[in-house]
This record gives sequence, C-alpha cells and structure tokens, in this order.
Amino acid sequence: MTCDLRLRDARSVARIINLAHRLNCRCTRIEASSAGGDTRASLTFDGPALALTRLRAQIDRVLEYEAPEGARAAS
Amino acid sequence: MNGAQAAVAALEREGVDFIFGYPGGTIMPLYDALFQHAVRHVLCRHEAAAAFAAGGYARSSGRVGVCCATSGPGATNLVTALLDAYMDSVPVVAVTGQVRTELMGTDGFQEADVCAITQAITKRNFLVDDASQIAPTLAAAFALARSGRPGPVLVDIPTDVLKAQAGELEAVAAPPSRSAVPRASDEAIRSAVARIRAARRPVAIVGGGVRAGAVEAFRTFVSLLGLPHASTLMALGAAAPDDPHALGMLGMHGLKAANKAVQRADLVLALGMRFDDRVTGKPDRFARGAAVIHADIDATEFNKIIPADVTLHGDLRETLEALVAELVRSPVPRFDDWALEARALGGPLPSDRVDDRILSATDVLDRFFAALPADAIVTTDVGQHQMWAAQRARPAQPRRFITSSGLGAMGFGFPAAIGAQFANPGAPVFAIVGDGGFQMCLPELATLRRYGVPAKVLLIDNQNLGMVRQWQELFFSARYSATNLADNPDFAAIARAYGIEAFSLSDPQHAAATIAAFIDHAGPALLHAACHPTENVWPMIPAGMTVDDLMEARA
Repeated sequence: MTCDLRLRDARSVARIINLAHRLNCRCTRIEASSAGGDTRASLTFDGPALALTRLRAQIDRVLEYEAPEGARAAS
Repeated sequence: MNGAQAAVAALEREGVDFIFGYPGGTIMPLYDALFQHAVRHVLCRHEAAAAFAAGGYARSSGRVGVCCATSGPGATNLVTALLDAYMDSVPVVAVTGQVRTELMGTDGFQEADVCAITQAITKRNFLVDDASQIAPTLAAAFALARSGRPGPVLVDIPTDVLKAQAGELEAVAAPPSRSAVPRASDEAIRSAVARIRAARRPVAIVGGGVRAGAVEAFRTFVSLLGLPHASTLMALGAAAPDDPHALGMLGMHGLKAANKAVQRADLVLALGMRFDDRVTGKPDRFARGAAVIHADIDATEFNKIIPADVTLHGDLRETLEALVAELVRSPVPRFDDWALEARALGGPLPSDRVDDRILSATDVLDRFFAALPADAIVTTDVGQHQMWAAQRARPAQPRRFITSSGLGAMGFGFPAAIGAQFANPGAPVFAIVGDGGFQMCLPELATLRRYGVPAKVLLIDNQNLGMVRQWQELFFSARYSATNLADNPDFAAIARAYGIEAFSLSDPQHAAATIAAFIDHAGPALLHAACHPTENVWPMIPAGMTVDDLMEARA
C-alpha cells in the first residue's frame, strides 16, 4: 500500500511509521520533503490485508487532525 | 503582555475556570501569570492526579479539562492520564513548560521531549517556539480537543517563550477551521432502517459516543422501537434508570441478559461504541448470527474489530435523529416481545458472599447505591469495585458515572472525583476506590482539605489487589503473586491526619447506618469498608472467550 500524503507537521511522518509497526505492518519505502510548513511524504507499507486496512484508517485520522484544510491522502 | 500572560488570557477566552496542576521550574512564568487571576489554579499533589482531575472535570461537564505541569518529570507524569483521555475520548488540554530554547536537545536539567513521548497518545501536540503563537496555538488546541471525536491535546512551551513578549491578544487570529462534522448519508440511513424493519431480534449497544449530546436522541430511538439495549461501561446512564428495555452493561463482567441478548441477536446496532475486547471477548464468535449496523463519529472504528454491514459515519445525535425520521415515514416496527424475552435471559446478580459475618463489598455497594441521591456523580477507580459498581449503578446520565474504561488506570478515581466536584460544585460527588488504587493517589486528601472540596471517598478495602487476585485464583492455580495487601495502613487515621472526616465499617450489622451517615456528611469524608478478602466479581466471561463460557461462581 502506497500513501502519498501532504501534512502540516513533519513529525506526523514518524507518527505514521510508528503506527504501521504497531499494527503489524512494515514501512518499506519513505520519501519525504518539507518546506514552509508543508510536508509531502510518499510511504509504502507491507503487511496483512486487514492490518493495512486498519493502518489506512489510522492514517486518515492523523490527517484529519493534522493535514492542511482540504488536503487528503491519496493511495 | 508576555507569553505566559497571553496563555492565561487565551485560557480565559476559552472559558476555562480551573486549571489542575503542579508548578516547577520551567512553568513558573505561567504560574506567575496565574497568581491572583480569575482562572483558578488547583494544586494537586502529583501531576498524574492533576491530569486525572482535568479528565474528571471534562467527563462530568462536557467542557475541556485543563492541566499543567513543568518540563521533564512534571510532563512525563501527565502521560498516563493523557492516554486515559485518549482511550476514552475525553477533551483535555495539557500545558507543559519546556526547558529554554537554547537548552533543548542538550539533555538539560528536567528536559524531556514530551512532544515525542505523547505523539501516539494525543490527537496532536504542539511545541510553541514563538510567544506570539501561544494564544492561537491554545485556541487551536481547544478546538481540536473538543471537535469530532474528543481527545487530549498537549501544548509544550519553552520557558523563554513564556517570558518573551507576545503582543496583544486582540491580534490573535481565529483558530484554523476544522473539517465539517460528517453526516451519515441518506442511503446509509435507509439501508439501516431496512435492516431494522427486517430484524426479529435486534439489540442496540450504546457506547461512550452517546455522551456527545446524544442521550435524549438515544432514548427516543429505543423507545420508539421498544428496542432492547445494552450499554458499554462508558455509556452507563444513557438509558433512563426506569427503562424496561435496558439490559445493563455487557462484556466481561456484564449482566447475563445483556450478553446473552447480544449473542442471540439477529441485528446489532452499535451506537458510538468501538467493540473493545472487554465487550466482544472472542470477536469471531461475538454475535455470530447478527448483521451489524455501526454508527460512529470516527470512521477508524468501522470494521476494526467487528465487520459492519452498514456504517453510519457521523455525529451520533444526528444519526439517531435521522434514523427516527426515516422510521416514522412508515409504520414503526415494535420489538417489545423480544425485549421481554431478552430481559428474561438474565436474573439476579450472582452472589459470592463467602462468610456472612464478614463485610461483603457487594453488600456495601448495594446499600450505597440504594441510598445514593439521584443527582450524585460517582467516579470509580479500577478493579473489582469498579465492576461491582458498574453492575449496580443506575445513573440518570452518562456524565454521572465516571470511570477509566479503555485504559483501566488505577489511581484515576479519587482525583477524577475532585475534578468532577470542581465542575459540579452543587452535586454530591463520590469516589469508589479500592485499597490498591487509593494508595496511588492518597495524597490528594490534601487537595480535598485545602479547597474544602466536599467529595467523598468510599474505600472498598479487601486487603488485596482484588481483580488480579481473582484472576490468580481462577487462571493461575491460586498462586497469589504480589497481590496481598494485608499490611495496609490505617486509612481512617490517614484521612484524619489530613483533616478529613473518616468513618470505619467492618461489622455487617452496622452497614446501613454507617453508609447513611457517610452519605449525609456535609463535607469531605472517607468511608473505610473492611471487606471480605476473597469475594469475586460474577458473572465473568474469561478474556478471549464468549458468553457460552460465562462463569457465575467458582468451579
């Protein structure tokens, strides 16, 4: 599962990676850049299908709390 | 004004009347700004208690609870209570001091990276590096704490930023707007109603989401249908105390009728609940024959544990009102016969009174709840007394029964009662605690004394870490490892040393009179009930099992 994310807070990348490991997934690719309070990250995760579904939902919740207005993740 | 003054002004703007906290080096500028301020500071005796008190304030009132602490150990002592608030969706804002900016990252004295530490247990946290941003950041923190699924937010402020000039508060920008509250689609509502109409044995399970202003809508909904309904620990009080279709709490120590009705249901309506493992036991055997309609404000909960046939993503009150509106467009089905059948699946709570000459905890609690004023707020700590209380409490509203549900944090009950009392100064407030948890927060007796808080403590002392002891008895071959507290102190003497009235009860013959005197006492008080050491909580569904494995007594 690949998630292309736009975040307000660069630290959210770390939060999401930690979440992945907690949910029995692995982060297999990380690309991120941050400038002017806008962080863009492309993350790829591997894991059981159910765990990835749960991770996707948790990422959406992090985004709801942290993403700039109107920005949402694209898988 | 400086950053600390801006912070206090921002708190005042949010309507904060009390902050629960403990001072220390880096947070001193904030304490200076609080000195003789209209926003009152409540000095607790431990930061954890301050944060639990903020949680009790929030849980009992629906308003945001606020706590503060200094950097390092002060901040880390907040962690358990922040997780408690996160697990139970309680709006709390924590303000922590941080070492001055130039020391950050140097392992400075009392430095802790509290933002990193709390990242996984807060909705969001902020490190403020510009004094002019303190007020807008606090505004954003409050908006986030109370919006959507409520939860804790932490704001960490270096001490030099608290001292720096912040400009005038009037210049503060409005907090960033949040995304609109989701609303269940018309199609989903129609689908849910079609499922309800087709059902023969539907059961509603109401959860903590009902606290978000949905109590009346829930009562209207279940009353319209004559629908039997069970409650999670978080939602006790959602049903009216005299509701004939209420089955009580379900789950590990839930009532038999609630658990059996859910297991026999052909439709489960999960309303603002998240299928905690203490509710479901073994998920793939939970309500096996039932379709599931799941309503929640947090889409993360859908299909997390139990697959849903229909999901209703939105505010629970609005969802329930939409369901009612759709239902009344045609003749409304009634489930009274099934509700009667469901209630009949239960029976009286099993008794475990080993020796009638020794005080029984459940007898104490039966008498206590029978004598309790209707407007009382009850908090509990965690353990056997919590489950006994949850089985017996009949609160008129969910905000009148307050407990650490998801986290199960010992040491919660007493400080939560203090917070609840500050939020509800006219209400009778009681903390039910065990001898283990009470000793985690015992110094808060000083907080009761200092502020004249009339909250009362009912101490169920069985000289054991009772719930762990029960599990050792049942599942660890009665090998009682580190659960015996036979060397407990004289709790009544300790209370008196703090200037708190104390009642002692050990003779069952004196229970009624002593409990009545305790409840009627005008000020803060402790009732020390010396109870049987091996009384167990029944019924019990062992962890990871189902209602088919329900135990009502020792084997």
